[in-house]
Amino acid sequence: MISASRPNKRRVTRFRTKLLAAMMLVVSGLMAFALYFAQRHVTAAAQRDLQQNFQAELFSLDKVQELRNAALAERCGTLASRPRIHAALEDNALDLLYPSAKDELRDLMEDEGSLHTGPSLHAKFYRFLDAAGAVLSPPNPKDVGQLSHRVETQLILKKLPETQQIGYIRENADAADEIVDEVVAAPIFSTETGDVISALVVGFEPFELIGKGAGSGTKSGIWLNDQLHMPSLSKSAQAALGSEIAKAVTNSASAQSNFTVTVNGAPQLLFYKRLNPNSLFPPAYEICLYPLADSMAELHRLRWRIGGAGALLLLGGFVASHLVAARLAVPVEKLELDSEKNRAQRKRAETALASTSEKLKRSTRYSADASHQLKSPVTVLRAGLEGLLTRDDFKPEIYEELSALLHHTHRLTGVIDDLLLLSRVDAGHLQIDSQPVNLSQIIEEWLDDLGALPDSPEVKIEKKFPADLCIAGEKRYTSLIVQNLLENARKYNRPDGLIRVTAARNGGEVVLTIGNTGHPIARDAQEHVFERFHRGGTGSHISGHGLGLNLARELARLHDGDLRLVRSEDDWTEFEARFLIAAQTSDGATQTT
Amino acid sequence: MMRRLARFNVVVALFPISVLGQVTVEGRVELPKSHSAPVVAKRYEIVTHGGVLSTQPPLAVVYLEGSFPKPASPPTRQIVQQDLAFIPPLLPVQVGTRVEFPNLDDTYHSIFSYSPTKRFDLGRYRPEERPIPSVVFDKPGLVTLRCDIHEHMRGLILVLNSPHFVMTDADGRFRLRGLPPGHYTLNAWIDSKTTHERPVELKKGETLQVDFQ
Repeated sequence: MISASRPNKRRVTRFRTKLLAAMMLVVSGLMAFALYFAQRHVTAAAQRDLQQNFQAELFSLDKVQELRNAALAERCGTLASRPRIHAALEDNALDLLYPSAKDELRDLMEDEGSLHTGPSLHAKFYRFLDAAGAVLSPPNPKDVGQLSHRVETQLILKKLPETQQIGYIRENADAADEIVDEVVAAPIFSTETGDVISALVVGFEPFELIGKGAGSGTKSGIWLNDQLHMPSLSKSAQAALGSEIAKAVTNSASAQSNFTVTVNGAPQLLFYKRLNPNSLFPPAYEICLYPLADSMAELHRLRWRIGGAGALLLLGGFVASHLVAARLAVPVEKLELDSEKNRAQRKRAETALASTSEKLKRSTRYSADASHQLKSPVTVLRAGLEGLLTRDDFKPEIYEELSALLHHTHRLTGVIDDLLLLSRVDAGHLQIDSQPVNLSQIIEEWLDDLGALPDSPEVKIEKKFPADLCIAGEKRYTSLIVQNLLENARKYNRPDGLIRVTAARNGGEVVLTIGNTGHPIARDAQEHVFERFHRGGTGSHISGHGLGLNLARELARLHDGDLRLVRSEDDWTEFEARFLIAAQTSDGATQTT
Repeated sequence: MMRRLARFNVVVALFPISVLGQVTVEGRVELPKSHSAPVVAKRYEIVTHGGVLSTQPPLAVVYLEGSFPKPASPPTRQIVQQDLAFIPPLLPVQVGTRVEFPNLDDTYHSIFSYSPTKRFDLGRYRPEERPIPSVVFDKPGLVTLRCDIHEHMRGLILVLNSPHFVMTDADGRFRLRGLPPGHYTLNAWIDSKTTHERPVELKKGETLQVDFQ
């Protein structure tokens, strides 16, 4: 056993290792998946959020711009319909244009400071363009917002626009306090001809894109003429970023896009969108820089979390696999142990069985051999005794002696016959040729014979059974059973005793009970009454050899029935034999079931 | 309206005859095709096409260019504002003429001009305004009249150095009488950008036939 358990332990360890390895593989795979998807999700979500933010900001900007441009368009329409403006433009009195417009546009310019809460609708400056698109110089620049010549040239258009044009210009370019102004050029149509006769260019402070909702660190600016204007960045950073945007803008056909840049060592998501599509003014782009630090940090946190969860899972898996392996290994080990035991037991049982069968064979052969060996001398003996009895020259007491001897040889023959039969039963050679047997008839015959037996006490016989009660069996053996039981009932009876024989159908069976008066079988002997050569200790004066009940029961069982002692007490002993009932066929013949 | 304009033309045409005129020039000016279909009783108005001002339906002013003495007492003419329009829409005058602008509408008008020839601004006034607001035109050239209140109102005053001028009829026919003999240039003003010139030699007692095509 000990030598066998060692390889088992090894096997169990191997099983555990394999289980653990499989679990680790699964957990690592899951973790890799989770990490991959989480990373993708976080990146995409951050990008989406920022993009939405940017779009929302731009949308609100667009709305305000739209509002302002609509207001401006209306203003220009009104302005163009003013006779004095027309007169100034059409009657070659351009010197009177600005004075004429001054009253009309007064509210556009006035009150710069007081309304700084919302996006300003107040202009910083305005200029008229003449029919060629050149700027008409104002006679009094103070009234219309002073501009340097360099700035004023940025307002010039190649031709007068048919629609509103949005443009961006730089003031104080290359200086520290560089600012970008948004200009809107609105055409002035002649009310008579519908021709564009001039344009009003109004300069505004650009709207601040980054509202309160944007996260900290978000920067916005405007990219114009290959240069970035983002005051929150240093000049060099602006220049570097500007060239990157220039590359992106020239390479991409779309008016808006985004890409990741590194500014001052920190990753940022850069969005850009054309502010003035289809404008006669140089293209300008709104630029928004969103720091990716937050989403990076989030990603980092998530990585750690997933890593931690994976580690925990692995640890849990390790423990679980250990437990599971242990739990699994217990029955396996037990199975190993049990099978070892079983094998030994089986071997022992096989050996025992072999020896028993050998013994049985030997004993069966022995009793058969013995019966045959005994039979012939007994026959010789009986023939001799019968021969002696025919002689008439002996004294009368000799004849008595000879008769007694002859009787004993008869008994001996009976014992030998019984032994022979039993040996056949034991050897399994006895086959029942099952036929319908009339049990009632057999009982009647044997009851008749009872009276003929010598030295039998006078007994009363009660019988209660229907005629023609048929059972399935072989007549010689069922007869033997009935004979045995009736002989015993008479033998162990007392004078003036009673034998009661009843037989009746009970379902598919026929139950035969034979009871008799007389000294009952001792209580401790009752369970041995069916053993061979057991005579119940009732009295050695009664003839018998202790094989009858044993043989009767063996035969009853061969008939698929049984024989048992029902009771034996208070001057009454009763046996019960059960047989299968013979089936009655429709044509009247009987068959066994 | 047409009748009034015709009567006015006759007055203008007849005027020089009383002043010792001997020479007569008559003919026809080829007027530009009307942009809109001629409609009976459609009143004359000033229109702009590509910055060019003209009357609609087309009319022309024919005048003799030369150096003529200024009149001793400058004449006074009128352009009335009636039914939210200047009547007549086109008025040729000699330099130094005072033009009155009576308001015959039951509303304010505010006549002004940004033309280099004459800048003026009469401001808002009602029909009762007296004296009738007037302007003396002392420089030759074209003056565009506008009303600051009614943006569609347009009027033209053609200020000429010459006392010899006449407006054609709707077919472009004209007749200038009482012209002094000599070498001159006969002009036909068609619109603010177009004036045809023709040198003429006027001989005493003659009637000259001049057609502008």
